[in-house]
Amino acid sequence: MMTYIVFILSVIFVVSFVGFSSKPSPIYGGLVLIVSGGVGCGIIMSFGGSFLGLMVFLIYLGGMLVVFGYTTAMATEQYPEVWVSNTTVMGVFLLGLLMEVMLVLYVLKSEEVGVVFKFSGVGDWAIYDTGDSGVFSEEIMGVAALYSYGAWVVIVTGWSLLVGVLVILEVTRGD
Amino acid sequence: MNPLIFTTILMTVLLGTMIVMMSSHWLMIWIGFEMNLLAIIPILMKKYNPRTMEASTKYFLTQATASMLLMMAIIINLMHSGQWTITKVFNPTASIIMTSALAMKLGLTPFHFWVPEVTQGISLTSGLILLTWQKLAPMSILYQISPSINLNILLTMAVLSILVGGWGGLNQTQLRKIMAYSSIAHMGWMTAVLAYNPTLTMLNMLIYIMMTLTMFMLFIHSSSTTTLSLSHTWNKTPLTTTLILITLLSMGGLPPLSGFMPKWMIIQELTKNNSIILPTLMAIMALLNLYFYMRLTYSTSLTMFPSTNNMKMKWQFETKRITFLPPLIVMSSLLLPLTPMLSILD
Repeated sequence: MMTYIVFILSVIFVVSFVGFSSKPSPIYGGLVLIVSGGVGCGIIMSFGGSFLGLMVFLIYLGGMLVVFGYTTAMATEQYPEVWVSNTTVMGVFLLGLLMEVMLVLYVLKSEEVGVVFKFSGVGDWAIYDTGDSGVFSEEIMGVAALYSYGAWVVIVTGWSLLVGVLVILEVTRGD
Repeated sequence: MNPLIFTTILMTVLLGTMIVMMSSHWLMIWIGFEMNLLAIIPILMKKYNPRTMEASTKYFLTQATASMLLMMAIIINLMHSGQWTITKVFNPTASIIMTSALAMKLGLTPFHFWVPEVTQGISLTSGLILLTWQKLAPMSILYQISPSINLNILLTMAVLSILVGGWGGLNQTQLRKIMAYSSIAHMGWMTAVLAYNPTLTMLNMLIYIMMTLTMFMLFIHSSSTTTLSLSHTWNKTPLTTTLILITLLSMGGLPPLSGFMPKWMIIQELTKNNSIILPTLMAIMALLNLYFYMRLTYSTSLTMFPSTNNMKMKWQFETKRITFLPPLIVMSSLLLPLTPMLSILD
């Protein structure tokens, strides 16, 4: 099973994406988002990116999703919609599930999948593996490079975050 | 809005477009588009009524979808070329997806449905920024990837845009919707020549921005958003009726005004490349545009439309001071003799 761990995790990833894109109430969407975040973290970590996976858990799930969960809990209704309560939601979920099952069967049956791009197993993605160059892990070097060579990116993203706060305050201020 | 916050947000809109135009890394371009989109939402919502909020939501949804498509095209390009530099896009799938994403951002057919609705829901100044500044960033990316765009898709979108821009504007009396359909048609002209000579796209963009700026300034000056209120300008400021006439005819592409220059150059470039039916069709469909401009000039400048006022001129308490209006009017009507200067662009 360990050789197919990335494949299994990516199937769970896609299924959880289908789960929240079929639009149940936000609180259940957040629940599935937690699952998808955790599974995505697992995929990154099985390629050796332990730092990035930790970032997903800490910042994404532990920061942004917690805030989202609290605001949704304040604004939720008495009987929030589940996947089985509304025919449309259930229909979309089942459709997405069916498409994923068919894709999985296609991948398992034939050697190569050539839908938008040619994909023939996880070996294709090995070039993006975070390699180990001896003593240092390249992944941590990448994070360090963000603050040295990528200073402009840090400035731009920091400014975007500040302006994002200003924009949100402006939009929700009302008259 | 607090003036400091408004200035910050407006500067962020400018910064977003500048980042898009000056970056060499695809991710920075995407970041620039998102920054632009995020910061223009409160500008579109300057007045708090349900129309502006609906228009801002529509704008946000379409542009966010376009950004997502752009990101997917960037990643497919990364997969096939292994690098993030802006050059031509090497994979045809990525090229088609990127062209569709940029067409959604510009408002080309078949992604044009948001342009009249969003332009109608917002104030005149916001509509001005939307129809002029927001076109610069996607057009600069189209310019940079122009060697690799699929010609069939590009020309289909261009011709359909000219058609939709002409026919869609025929039934309109609201000035902002007329300007929106005019924008769709002009974008069609710009993208038609993109694969043959992208410099002419930039020329058309420049002249289009000047003319649209002038038209919007004239509308803001008379605070008119419908044909009916525009037709009363003979009573308020008779001089602007003449200026509206000149600018509208320039937008319609009539010689000897400067709006003729891009159309002439585009038709010349297309015929140099052995396509004759296409520029003929484009020129004929531009007549649809000219028709509704003529209808505006008829009710505004060529006739003294009936109004409730008995006197020759209304009593003016204070006039809005419009920056740069005289130079804009001169540039949007008298630039045609400068056409030979285009040879310096080689």
